Amino acid sequence: MGEAYRFPLAIVDGLRLDKPLRDALLPGRIVYDAAGRARRLPRYFYEIPSWEQARNLQLSPSFALWEFIQTDVREAAPLRAFPRYVPCAITMLALCLERLRVALGTFIHIAANGGYRSPRHAFSMNATPHSWGTAVNVYRIGDVYLDDREAIERYAAVARGVLPGAWTRPYGTQRGETDDHLHIDFGYALLLPRDVPDDHLGFDAERRAS
Amino acid sequence: MPTQVLNQYSAPHPEALDALHPRLDALEEKSGARALAVAVYDTETRATFQHHADRWFHAASTIKVAILLGVYASIHHGWLLPHSRLHVRNRFFSAVDGSPFRVMPDRDANAEVHAATGKMMRISDLALHMIATSSNLATNLLLDLVGLDTVQRSLDELGIDGIDIRRGVEDERAFEHGISNRVTANGLASLLRLIAEERAFTPELSREMLDILHAQEFKNGIPARLPRAVRVAHKTGEISTIAHDAGVVYPPDRKPYVLAILSEWSPDGSGRSATIAEVSHAVYELLTPSPEVPRG
Repeated sequence: MGEAYRFPLAIVDGLRLDKPLRDALLPGRIVYDAAGRARRLPRYFYEIPSWEQARNLQLSPSFALWEFIQTDVREAAPLRAFPRYVPCAITMLALCLERLRVALGTFIHIAANGGYRSPRHAFSMNATPHSWGTAVNVYRIGDVYLDDREAIERYAAVARGVLPGAWTRPYGTQRGETDDHLHIDFGYALLLPRDVPDDHLGFDAERRAS
Repeated sequence: MPTQVLNQYSAPHPEALDALHPRLDALEEKSGARALAVAVYDTETRATFQHHADRWFHAASTIKVAILLGVYASIHHGWLLPHSRLHVRNRFFSAVDGSPFRVMPDRDANAEVHAATGKMMRISDLALHMIATSSNLATNLLLDLVGLDTVQRSLDELGIDGIDIRRGVEDERAFEHGISNRVTANGLASLLRLIAEERAFTPELSREMLDILHAQEFKNGIPARLPRAVRVAHKTGEISTIAHDAGVVYPPDRKPYVLAILSEWSPDGSGRSATIAEVSHAVYELLTPSPEVPRG
């Protein structure tokens, strides 16, 4: 990856996608988190032309793009077919996970529905960082399944220590807690590559599209 | 040249099955079963037979046939595709109070679905595991996806009485509170008849369900004492006090018949599978009399 290297995925403006995709991705729209706080969704996405490209594109030495886009039948139908779209922040998420991977010295397995999922995914009741491409659910580290308090809390502590600013969901069975995976996220961060237009907050374009 | 009538069964008289009643009473007494219920529908003669066939039993794993119907209802309505993928996650919520529970691997006959935890499996593969190896995890995943309402509504819309679905499997908390799935022999026979006659949604979807039921790997009930050439599409169900088997039996050179055998036992009762196999054999003998002697 020398100077000639260019990231192979095109950046698209979500507001210029076809309506079914816009309705599923809600680019630049305001949604509310569980506490009622307004959060603006990403507007710019990488376009993934095929499963083959998702399989072959390494975002970091240990993580390929496909690991972050595995969603099941609960994802909005227009987003279950290629080309698919993922917020640009997914590249930074992969780098953060790589740092955790190095610290742990073993494999990190991302759960289905545990990488990017759209705001129309059936699990996206409120604004979730998963829709920003800044969150992962890890169900297994090495040979350890993260399905009990001891494993979840142990690896959550490691993640918070290695990744400054990371948030991990507490262990438990109540709403907002987890008992069968480790959730790590970096909040509602937007990543805007240099190529995107400067009206990234999307107010003008949003008005034009509506 | 003699007329070739070999392999042609003489059609049984529609009342032939009535001879089963005393045999079943005797078998029930001999086996020590607390209760034995049987329903038969012969698609060739349209003969029916019912022995305590409206008595309610705990459904055990026979409820999975109804869940299979609910999954195919969702496919029929376009809500799902057979190759749609579903996240395998071992976390469910009790029908009593919403408390979480898991399907313990050591209480599940199928390890393949557990091994896919965290990954995705196709709906069609999960349906196959739910029936062929009675995977409890696959069952709860599918039921969680399509919902109790979809299953019960599908049964109601198809006019099937005698199947009452109220929860997923391995929901111990619900069991302790008396919330269980229930079936009657007539209910299961009605559902299987609908599938066998290719009237469950569409002929194609009915055949897909039959293919799954044909893949059944537990064969110590209905098929156990039938000739090898006889194919059976069926679903077993067994818990501490329950042993059931219900399916569609396909003798060679004859139209199939539907058979549901439900039984209840004391927890230490033995001979459950043998009893079901004996009932199945008795029904087979009555519905497939010996071939006629070729005329010279």
